[in-house]
Amino acid sequence: MAEAPVIKLEKISKSFGEVRANHDISLDIHEGRILALLGENGAGKSTLMSLLAGQSLPDSGTIYFNGRPVSFSSTEKAIEAGIGMVYQHFKLVEAMTVAENIFLGRSDKTWLSRKALNRSVAEVADQYTMQVDADMVVADLSMGEKQQVEILKLLFRQSNILIFDEPTAVLTPHEANNLFETMKQMKKDGKAIVFISHKLEEVMSIADDIAILKRGEIVGVMEAGSVSSTRELAEMMVGREVLLEVDHHPMEPRQQVLKVAGLQEEGLKDLNFEIRQGEIVGIVGVAGNGQKPLVESVCGLKRVDVGVITLLGRDSRDFFSSRSWDKALSYIPEDRQGLATCQGLDLLDNFLLTTRQGFQVGPWLPVNEARQKLEYLIEEFDIRPPNANLLAWQLSGGNLQKMVLSREFYRKPRLIVAEQPTQGLDIAAAEDVWNLLLKAREQAGILMITGDLSEALELSDRIGVMYDGHLVNMFSRDNEEMIEAIPQMMAGLA
Amino acid sequence: MSIDILIPLLAAAVQSGTPILYATLGEIFTERSGILNLGVEGIMIIGALTGFLVAKATGNPYVAFVAAGLAGSCAGSIHGLVCLVFQGNQVVSGLALTILGVGVANYLGTPYVGLIAPGFDPLPIPVLAEIPVIGAIFFSQDLLVYLTYLIPVLMWIFLYNTRFGLSLRAAGEYPAAATAAGLNVVGYRWLGVLVGGFFMGLGGAYLSLAYTHLWTNNLTGGRGWIAVALVIFAFWRPSRAVFGAYLFGGIMALQLRLQASGTQIPSSLLLMLPYGLTVAVLVFSSWLRGKTDEPGALGTNILPAE
Repeated sequence: MAEAPVIKLEKISKSFGEVRANHDISLDIHEGRILALLGENGAGKSTLMSLLAGQSLPDSGTIYFNGRPVSFSSTEKAIEAGIGMVYQHFKLVEAMTVAENIFLGRSDKTWLSRKALNRSVAEVADQYTMQVDADMVVADLSMGEKQQVEILKLLFRQSNILIFDEPTAVLTPHEANNLFETMKQMKKDGKAIVFISHKLEEVMSIADDIAILKRGEIVGVMEAGSVSSTRELAEMMVGREVLLEVDHHPMEPRQQVLKVAGLQEEGLKDLNFEIRQGEIVGIVGVAGNGQKPLVESVCGLKRVDVGVITLLGRDSRDFFSSRSWDKALSYIPEDRQGLATCQGLDLLDNFLLTTRQGFQVGPWLPVNEARQKLEYLIEEFDIRPPNANLLAWQLSGGNLQKMVLSREFYRKPRLIVAEQPTQGLDIAAAEDVWNLLLKAREQAGILMITGDLSEALELSDRIGVMYDGHLVNMFSRDNEEMIEAIPQMMAGLA
Repeated sequence: MSIDILIPLLAAAVQSGTPILYATLGEIFTERSGILNLGVEGIMIIGALTGFLVAKATGNPYVAFVAAGLAGSCAGSIHGLVCLVFQGNQVVSGLALTILGVGVANYLGTPYVGLIAPGFDPLPIPVLAEIPVIGAIFFSQDLLVYLTYLIPVLMWIFLYNTRFGLSLRAAGEYPAAATAAGLNVVGYRWLGVLVGGFFMGLGGAYLSLAYTHLWTNNLTGGRGWIAVALVIFAFWRPSRAVFGAYLFGGIMALQLRLQASGTQIPSSLLLMLPYGLTVAVLVFSSWLRGKTDEPGALGTNILPAE
C-alpha cells in the first residue's frame, strides 16, 4: 500500500435533516486493490456512493483525486475522473442489443455496423472472462449478464475506479463467481475497485481491504488478511451498543395469533414458529436471508404453496378471503413511502386506506366522522405538523411512520407485522415508535423484522435469527448465551 | 372472384393504402422517439389542404407535396412545444391537435370545396409495368406511391444502422439511460416529432394531390386514426406498416366496390368495415403483447433535471 491513493476521502460528512447519513468519514481508494465497504442497510453506504458519483456534495470534508482536492458537483465530473458505478438497478435499454447499449452515445460514426460493434464488444468481454453475447437483446439476458453489460459500458468508457453497489444481491452463486473473476482481472489491470456489500463471506474472499460502516461512521478499516473470521466482521457490523432504552416488562403470552409450519417458498427453507398475543418476536439477520419472502407470505402478498400459515386460528387462505378490517392483521411495511401510504393523498385519505370499513355506511363514507377520529389520533400520537389536510409526502419520515402506526393500531390488530419499524428515523422518533410497539403488545402478537440488533434486543420477547432462508434459532431474550452467539448465527457459522 | 376484378382491386388497395402508409410511417418515427402523437388526423388534413392550395397557386405538384410535408412538421411542432417544452399531457395535446387541424382545414378550405388542382397522375414504370399481375398492381401507379416503396427501407436503415437512429430509439425506450450516455434526449424527440409530422403531412397531400386532385371537407375521413392503430399493428416496425397499410387500403377499396355493385348490405355497415378492422387489429396486437417493439417510454415526458 505504498502507492498514493487515487481517491482519498477526508472527514466527509453528510446529513439529511436530523439524520446523519455520513459522519467524519476518511477512506483511501487504491489502484489495483479491491476495497470492500461493509455495512447494514441504512449504514450510509449509498450516501457515500452518491457523493463519489457526483450526485450530491458533502456538507463538509474533502475528496482528493490523485492528490488534488476535487468537487464532484455533477455526475459528468465524476465520470471524467474515471469513476464508474454499477448500480443495483441497471440503466440499460431493455429492447436493444448488448452492443447497441454499450455504444449508445459513444460512437461518432454515422453508420453502425452490427458486426464490427459485436466484434469489439466480444474482444473486451473475453479479456475480462465475461460470457455475454453482444448480439442478444438485453431483455432476454439474466441479471448476471445484464450486470456484465453495465460493466462493459464502464470499461468502454475507460473508467478506472469502479464502484459496485451490492453487485451480488441479484446474482446466482455461479454468476457471482464469474463477477469475482472479472473483478480480479480488473484489479490486475490496475483498476481501483470498491465493492459494497453486506455479505461477509464474499467480502472475505475477494477484498484486499475492508472498511466497516455503521450508523454513518467508519468503525474499522483493516486488511482482509488480518481478519481471522467472518464473526469478527459481523460483530463490528451489527455490534450491540445501546443508544436508548425502553421499559420492557414481561407479559404473559396468551392465545396463539400466528403459526408458521413447514413454510417453504422461494428463498425460504422449512420455517416453523408461532407467535402469541402479548409478545414481540424479533427476526434478525443480514438483509436478503429470507425476511422479505417470510413477510410477504404471512401478510398474504404471496401465495403459500408449501407449508401452512395459520392466522388467528384460521388457515391463511381462508383468513385472507374473508378478512375483517379490525381485530385482525396489520402490516407496517418497510417502504412507508411506497407501500404504506399514497404520497399524493392527504392524511385523511391515507388514514381511510386501511380503516374505511370502520366508517362506511352502505356506499357512503362519512368523512367528517373519520376526520374527527384522525384528529384525535394525530394529537394522541403527537404527529407533527398536526394537520389532517397535509399530503403524505409533506411529513418527515418519523411523523409519517407514526401516522402509519396510529392508523394500524386504530384497527386494534391481533397480529402486527412490522418491518424495519425505525429505519431512517432519528432517535427521538425511534423511541416513540418503540414505546408504541411495546404498548401494542398488550393487544397483539408482533412479528418484527429488523436489521438493527440493538432494536431486536431491546424490544423482543423472543429473538429469531435468519440465515440463508433458515430460521437458525429462536430463543428468549433472557438467554445470554444465545444472544452472545447471534453474530455467528447471522454469518451462518452456528 | 375472377382475376379481372382482383387485379384492379389490389391496385386500388395499394393506392388507398398509400396515404395511410405515409402517416403510419410518420407516427412510427415519432413514437420511436417516445412521443405519442394522436394529432395524426389533424396533421394529415393540414397537409392535404396545404398541398392543394400550393398546387393551385403554383401549378407545381412537386412543390406542393414538399410544402405539405413542411406544413405537417409545423403542425407537429405545436405538439412538440406542448410536450417537450411545457411537459404537457401527450394524449390531450394530440387530441387537441386533431380537433384544431380538422377545424382549421375545413374553415380555410370551404371556398375551395369541389375545385380541382394539378396533381400526380399514374406513371407506369417502363418494363416493370409489363410484368404480369405484379406490374399492374404495383408499377402502374403514380410517383408518390413509388416513393413509399423506398421510405420504409430508408427508415429502417436510419433506425437500425446509424448512430442517430440508435439514439432516437434510446430516447423512446429509456430516456434515463440515453441521458446517462450523454445524449440530448429532448433534441432527438424533436427530431421524432418534426420528421414524423413531415410524413403525416405527405400522407394528407397524397389524398388531395393524387387520390382525388380536389378538395372536399373532411378529406382525411379518419385515416389518421387508422394510422395510429396501424402503428400498434406494425409493432412499431416500418416493414410491417407496409402490410398493414395495404390491408386497410384493400378493405377501403373493397368497401367502395361493394357499394358500387349495388349489394344488399347497407352502405353504413360497409363504411364501418375499416374501423371494425381497426378494433380487431388492436385486439390481435394486444394479444401478442410482449412480442411487439413498443417503445418503453412511449408517452412519458422528460422532466427537466432538478
